[in-house]
Amino acid sequence: MMSRTHTNDETKIALHEVVAEMYDKIVKGEAPTMTLPVRTKTNIAFDDKLGVYKYGKKRSTRDATSLGSAKQLLRALHVVEFIEEMIDAGKSSTLREMYYISEAWGLGKFGSQNESNNLAEDLEVVTKCLREDFKLRPEEDGARMIGNLTLRERNRRGEWMRINARDDVGDSGYGVPYNVELEKIELLEHDIKFIMAIETGGMFDRLIENGFDEDFNCGLLHLKGQPARSTRRILKRMSEEWDLPVVVFLDGDPWSFRIFASIAYGAIKTAHISEYLATPSATYLGITADDIMAYDLPNDDLSPRDVEALKAELSDPRFADPWWQEQINMMLELGKKAEQQSLAKYGLDFVTDTYLPEKLAELGLA
Amino acid sequence: MSGTAERMAKNQKQVAISEFFEKNKHFLGFDSLTRSLITAVKEAVDNSLDACEEARILPKIRVQITKIDDKKNIIELKSEDNGPGIPQRSIEKVFGQLLFGSRFHAIRQSRGQQGIGITGVVMYSQLTTGRKTHVRSKIATEASAAIVDIGLDTRKNKATKSNESREIWENPDGSFKEHGLEVTTRMKAKYQKGRQSVYQYLRMTSIVNPHADITFIDPEGETHHWPRVTERLPTKVESIKPHPHGIHLGTLQRMCTESTDSRMTVFLRNNFSGMSTRAAKELLEVAEISEKAKPKSLKPEQYRALLEAFQGERTLNNKPVKLLNPPTNCLSPIEELLIKKGLSKTIDSRFVTTMTRSPTVTQGNPYQVEVGLIFGDGMLADKPVEVLRFANRVPLMYQQGGCLLTKAIESVDWRQYGLDQAGGRGVPKGPAAILVHLASTNVQFTSEAKEALADNSEVLDETRKALLEMGRGLRKHLEKKKKMAKTQEKFELVNDIIPAIAEKSAQILGRPVPELAGSITKIMSAVIAEEETVWNKETKKTDVSITLFNYTSRARSYTLLASWPERDGAVMENNNTGGRKEATGVWAWKLDTLEPGQTYVIKYTLSGLEKGDWTDTDVFFRGSQDVIGATKMDEKLLEEIRRQEAVGTSKEEESSDESDDVEPLAEPEVPPPTGQQTLFGGGE
Repeated sequence: MMSRTHTNDETKIALHEVVAEMYDKIVKGEAPTMTLPVRTKTNIAFDDKLGVYKYGKKRSTRDATSLGSAKQLLRALHVVEFIEEMIDAGKSSTLREMYYISEAWGLGKFGSQNESNNLAEDLEVVTKCLREDFKLRPEEDGARMIGNLTLRERNRRGEWMRINARDDVGDSGYGVPYNVELEKIELLEHDIKFIMAIETGGMFDRLIENGFDEDFNCGLLHLKGQPARSTRRILKRMSEEWDLPVVVFLDGDPWSFRIFASIAYGAIKTAHISEYLATPSATYLGITADDIMAYDLPNDDLSPRDVEALKAELSDPRFADPWWQEQINMMLELGKKAEQQSLAKYGLDFVTDTYLPEKLAELGLA
Repeated sequence: MSGTAERMAKNQKQVAISEFFEKNKHFLGFDSLTRSLITAVKEAVDNSLDACEEARILPKIRVQITKIDDKKNIIELKSEDNGPGIPQRSIEKVFGQLLFGSRFHAIRQSRGQQGIGITGVVMYSQLTTGRKTHVRSKIATEASAAIVDIGLDTRKNKATKSNESREIWENPDGSFKEHGLEVTTRMKAKYQKGRQSVYQYLRMTSIVNPHADITFIDPEGETHHWPRVTERLPTKVESIKPHPHGIHLGTLQRMCTESTDSRMTVFLRNNFSGMSTRAAKELLEVAEISEKAKPKSLKPEQYRALLEAFQGERTLNNKPVKLLNPPTNCLSPIEELLIKKGLSKTIDSRFVTTMTRSPTVTQGNPYQVEVGLIFGDGMLADKPVEVLRFANRVPLMYQQGGCLLTKAIESVDWRQYGLDQAGGRGVPKGPAAILVHLASTNVQFTSEAKEALADNSEVLDETRKALLEMGRGLRKHLEKKKKMAKTQEKFELVNDIIPAIAEKSAQILGRPVPELAGSITKIMSAVIAEEETVWNKETKKTDVSITLFNYTSRARSYTLLASWPERDGAVMENNNTGGRKEATGVWAWKLDTLEPGQTYVIKYTLSGLEKGDWTDTDVFFRGSQDVIGATKMDEKLLEEIRRQEAVGTSKEEESSDESDDVEPLAEPEVPPPTGQQTLFGGGE
């Protein structure tokens, strides 16, 4: 697989284009602008070639006619300058570090870390570069992984280490680093039939304790809620490079549906790099709305926020297919949601002895 | 027989005085240790203010509270004034006799409608500490001050005095005290801080008595000083006779039996206000009483008939007998400017608005409502506003929820005026204080505690009207502030951010910094006027500057006009840009053509004003293109002002200090206010 990153020079040129747009507008006697795709669900569309959702053609122009947007442009300039300095000095920083560094930027300083994260994403979207190109690292740590699969990771001293995610790790599994690109990680070999991505740590540990990975010959990946980019990226690499099926085992609520969408179809916030992060072949295993009924699971009433989220999903293009529409409508009708761990109602082994085998059998994986 | 009865009555009275106090201490204001102290301060300070007012002296009052025995809650209160003092022979009457005082029967606005006066303090002190109250009094005509310790013989309702003598009263600076009164008393009491405290009482008192200089030394030795902000004493109020609408049967009966008038017509004319000869005759006619009847010999059913005639229950040709309203010169409102100053001195603020309604009458009693609102810098935005209630210049500190004045505040939807208020009801939230003052010859309280005003739909309505009118002034202020904030943002944008973007982008690209004028014109595409009115601490004058920016791509020409307080006696100085008087209180400058990107600055100074008198200059323009930060001049209105001026010169005397010629300009679509006078925002 080709590296998806850009060279330092390519990155600089792309960033300079953003700066030149502002500069040229001033020279022309107009308000400086920054043009970028609209980053909401109204502007994501399925890309037939890539098999994932990408930003559509809608563009918005951020122009310096209001104080708020003008400050955004000024901040973008400071960030560009900062990235160039890091490229030249061979350094990198976390997004949080950048936020604190912005304290020295006077009028261009960030009001909150959310602002600086969003701006970094804006620049990614406009330049088609990645934050790794910008030498910016996320705060978020990657997930944990366990199973009979072997990879090579280059450590801090630049040495390649061979790691088997079953034999060479403790109970917490292999920790996925923030950079999982080729220069950092190589996938070597495996003896598994599929990979199961799991939402909660509690369920991940339950499956490990019950020896599920060995009994069912699979790899287990803990998503830690909404999965970090590196988690989604390594899942995609394993799925493509090893040609493995991916099943996703989440809570049964509107937020889990969104987690699945970001894994399988691409997240709205990162639709500019969906082809790197999304795993279109991933399957939603459970908890489905009908599981709540079929297994008579202990449940909670949907909160007003849940209902709102479900309704929003009905008009989200990623949930347009009939199966999802049915699931969402069923959950709305039911007015209930259930957690993965509610399966414990029938005992600690129920999930590994009954629920998962039955669900996997439907997919021909058990 | 009668001798026995009298003796019994007398006995009853002897027992009653101290028992009366004991049983009624809740409405006498001595029901808790904290409240007792506040009441004591209140009685002393009210007496001082009333005495000074009577003697036309600008009051200077000093209150000191010292903890004597913390464990036993013994506190010493010392209160000193510069009033006329009390002649030596009267001291024991004033301090030692319950219900002494001439104001008990007079019908006019007075503070002392509350409590039982300073005698209550003397009694409380004696009951709780066994000590007498030390009084020092100096009157102007005597060389030395009288000193005496006053106690009470509760059996005889008489003062007991001891240690009576005279001494020279020296001020701390060694000069001799000309006149004044000092009361020192010890009592079981507790000093507390907060909303119901001596501090708050004095603070509120100073707000509604801007002519008083009040100093308070708290038990921790800290000195709080509220300076005098006006040299003007409250108007001397006249006593009025009762109005027929406000009289009760018992009073009427007593007035009749005590009357020496020979016939009813004379009696009615002499003893009631609002009574014309015609009205007197008509009243007697409908009451079926002979005009020649002797008041003394009226029969009980005739009192009742007369009362029914008074109240319109007996009619003449199906109409109640028409009575004139009572005169309203018996009221002494604080007046808007002084409320403004009073509020400003106790709360650090950017904005005050006030409203004094014209006097009116309810149930035969003249009354007048005044309201004020202040935004305080140090106050909390998410807390209910501070409610400052007053009746006849006396702070009301308890029972806020049950008070008519609070209900009036709660009935207003403050959201439309820019304050937070859940559901548009209740006390609004915000960093503000709302003042409500009711001046009346007969303040109706909910109970003897005299802390909350009783419901009265007319007074409620009147208070509401005052608040609504004041609210409009507030809204106007907030809108202007918002507009200014927006303009400020635009300035920050073109003065700071755009240049920074130009510089940084040029630096990153390694190109020269581009010319900005084009972008700035495009972004602003407006002509902007910026006004600044500030108090100059050094020169003690108000500096005004008006800057006009042409941020459009074309040359513009304008005439700018500004309001200024000419009528309040201000003088315009250092006006280097000339111009001319357009009307009273309106100055105009015809400006040269302003090229794109050009600015023009007008500066002048106003003297003859005090701090806080003039904080906002309204800017108007004549010209075809709109000016942000200025209002298009309404020529019709200007005409109207000039017309009024022409009329006004002949009767300047009565209107000069109250009328407000600037106001109509600010809301051009509205005709100038008639009747009600407001400093800010009224008149709609």
